[in-house]
Amino acid sequence: MVSQRDRDLFRDDIRSRGTKLSAAEREKILRPYLPDPADISRRPPQRRKKAPRKTPIRTFLKSQLHQFTYTLIHIFFGLYVRIVQAYHALVDRILAIVYYHHRTPELIRKDVKNLDRLPEHLSVVLSMRREDDALAILMDDVAELAAWCMSAGIPMLSVYEKSGILKSCIPPLHQTITNKLSSYYDSSRQPALQLFAPHHPIYNPSPDSERTQSSAPGSGSLTVLLLSATDGRETFVDLTKTLAEMSQNGKLSPEDITMELVDAEISEITTQPSQAAAPLSDDNNNEQASTGSPGVSMKPEPDLLLVFGSFLKLDGYPPWHIRLTEMFCTGDKSSNMSGYGEAVEYQGFIRGLWHYAGAQMRFGR
Amino acid sequence: MATSMHLSRLRKWIVASPPIEFAISKLRDLLVGAIRQGPVPQHVAFVMDGNRRFARSHRIETVEGHNLGFEALARILEVCYRSGVKVVTIYAFSIENFKRSKFEVDALMEMARVKLGQLAQHGDILDRYGAQVRVLGRMDLLRPDVHAAFTKAVEMTSRNGNCILNICFPYTSRDEITSAVRDTVAEYSTPLQPVHASTGSIRSPFSESHIAHHIQAQSQSPPGPQAAPAEDTPSDIESASGSSTRSEDDRPSTPPGNVYEGTGSSFSSSTTLHLAEAKAAAAAEATNNNSNNTSGKFQSPETITSQTISDHLYTKGNPPLDLLIRTSGVERLSDFMLWQGNENTEIVFLDVMWPEFDLWHFLPVLLRWQRRISKQKVNPEAEGDFEGDSTPEQQQQQTPSSSDDVTSDDLLLHSDAKLKGL
Repeated sequence: MVSQRDRDLFRDDIRSRGTKLSAAEREKILRPYLPDPADISRRPPQRRKKAPRKTPIRTFLKSQLHQFTYTLIHIFFGLYVRIVQAYHALVDRILAIVYYHHRTPELIRKDVKNLDRLPEHLSVVLSMRREDDALAILMDDVAELAAWCMSAGIPMLSVYEKSGILKSCIPPLHQTITNKLSSYYDSSRQPALQLFAPHHPIYNPSPDSERTQSSAPGSGSLTVLLLSATDGRETFVDLTKTLAEMSQNGKLSPEDITMELVDAEISEITTQPSQAAAPLSDDNNNEQASTGSPGVSMKPEPDLLLVFGSFLKLDGYPPWHIRLTEMFCTGDKSSNMSGYGEAVEYQGFIRGLWHYAGAQMRFGR
Repeated sequence: MATSMHLSRLRKWIVASPPIEFAISKLRDLLVGAIRQGPVPQHVAFVMDGNRRFARSHRIETVEGHNLGFEALARILEVCYRSGVKVVTIYAFSIENFKRSKFEVDALMEMARVKLGQLAQHGDILDRYGAQVRVLGRMDLLRPDVHAAFTKAVEMTSRNGNCILNICFPYTSRDEITSAVRDTVAEYSTPLQPVHASTGSIRSPFSESHIAHHIQAQSQSPPGPQAAPAEDTPSDIESASGSSTRSEDDRPSTPPGNVYEGTGSSFSSSTTLHLAEAKAAAAAEATNNNSNNTSGKFQSPETITSQTISDHLYTKGNPPLDLLIRTSGVERLSDFMLWQGNENTEIVFLDVMWPEFDLWHFLPVLLRWQRRISKQKVNPEAEGDFEGDSTPEQQQQQTPSSSDDVTSDDLLLHSDAKLKGL
């Protein structure tokens, strides 16, 4: 640590002379200070080399002291962490009681009514739990989130789950979400739902009825995008492979690869699912996509990323689009070190939205 | 107002008094020494955010805020390296920052030039401490004099020891990823050396034309297995794509000699099995060989993995990013370390301005990280496969943890800061 006196001198130098000093002058000014941090910041390798020969006992005592301090700090830190977690868990329970959605969209809408801004595209990081019916729980979580988003007026929801298991069961997931929505909304104003994943067609079993319903008053539409780890780095690998092949065949020179090109290619996967899936999908789905359902144009960059886990870890989330995404981690109240298995609860969702809007938490509606 | 000013002045005076200063310095040494005893993150990244806001709130000039930020950097680098962090990456300047006022950009550039210039003037000290400075980013966007100072500093320290300071100077992560993709493509589209081509282009040591001849001879002698499955196929599917499906069906029943051929070049296997087309196939194979030889001068794009791209990033060779810390309470990555930080990195947002950032803010983050890592070491499955191994104990642990559990452990500091907001 530089002493206060030296720091003041250093600051005075910079302040009074600005930064427009000649090199020699600067060196002259700094010379006296440089050995100062050098003395203090003893480099460990050097110290270790010399110290054992000179003062073995002192070194031993020192390492023992450090070991002791380490243990002591961690004991107290653990206590502190537990107290804070207990407090958080308590707050969480209170919030869970005060803010419960009761499966009524109106209540959810009321909770978000006073917020200055809402994310246009919400992204959620979920993880499979270890229970036997983990997939069912996961699908139910997605369905709940979809219903909350729909009620809060968030038009786009993307769900990231590392293993990609959700992508393999799109039809049952759609069914689950529809069932969940029907428990939130009465049958006359069922909102329109679109569900898709990169390289998969939009799943929308009855497009005509959905569209007529989406025009019904009071109901919105929701686009749900399913993401997995393969949409992250793997996508870049695929893109690079294709580009390398094109370049080897002389169709493209490496200089043509710009940020705009990469951005366009990467964005296409999430924004225009129909095109990516066109050669694979059957005619029915193609027609649906090309006739232009309202939610096809997906905003590629999520505004808010909610991580349901005990600490903020992206865990392979597609890297390109989270450049300006606000991140919020709900979990800080469980002993689960792995970051898996945090429950998806309404108060976590609503806290994330408050946080995004820069609002404070309030006890009471 | 006046009393608080007096109080803070008194506080400053006390802190600056020699005995207290000595004690604080010793305490820091002790804490850093204690941190060394546990697991330490190998690669830490900082987004040095909040210099301007700090300057504004303390009513000093923006440039002054940046100067204070530099002091904070020096403090925190000392803590990092002394506690055993190998690589520190700092986000000093974004490509987007060129859009700021010219005065500020110039001041930042000047500061960087001066600091790195000073660094280069004291090469002996640098050598003694063995830190290596690298600049990540688009150096070509810099002014020539700044560029020269940077190159000199990087040059001088390039042979130094095991500690690395990565300065992201005009940097954005998207730009980094793009250039990594570009470099990878460029590398894969430069023809290999002819010496390599002879060994590397042919994937199997077997001669394909020889195998084709072998099959030709073989399929001419036993016509039996060829006819039998041909009768099966019509019952299978329609005959529109019959030729391909039939050959697919044929494969299991053909003599084992064909297996070599099938692995050698899979796409021509379907045609060579047909007697009539055998000669044409052999010819096709010959041309195929030729084309293989011409395109074989390149590395196969199929060998590209995410590691290949990682190796073309600016941070190549560095250990994976363990900890990413952003100050000033803004909870965005702002185009920093998108690729490096998306796997196992713990991202921490702190509600403190960068010039105020010190060991006291950094310590809880480090402790939390150490707790998590040492817990993971004790219970390795916690981080492992989340589909398979679920022991009953873990399930029991998890069920209460989802509700209010007092014995729960880990949490992030940034949510801590939110706690104060309650």
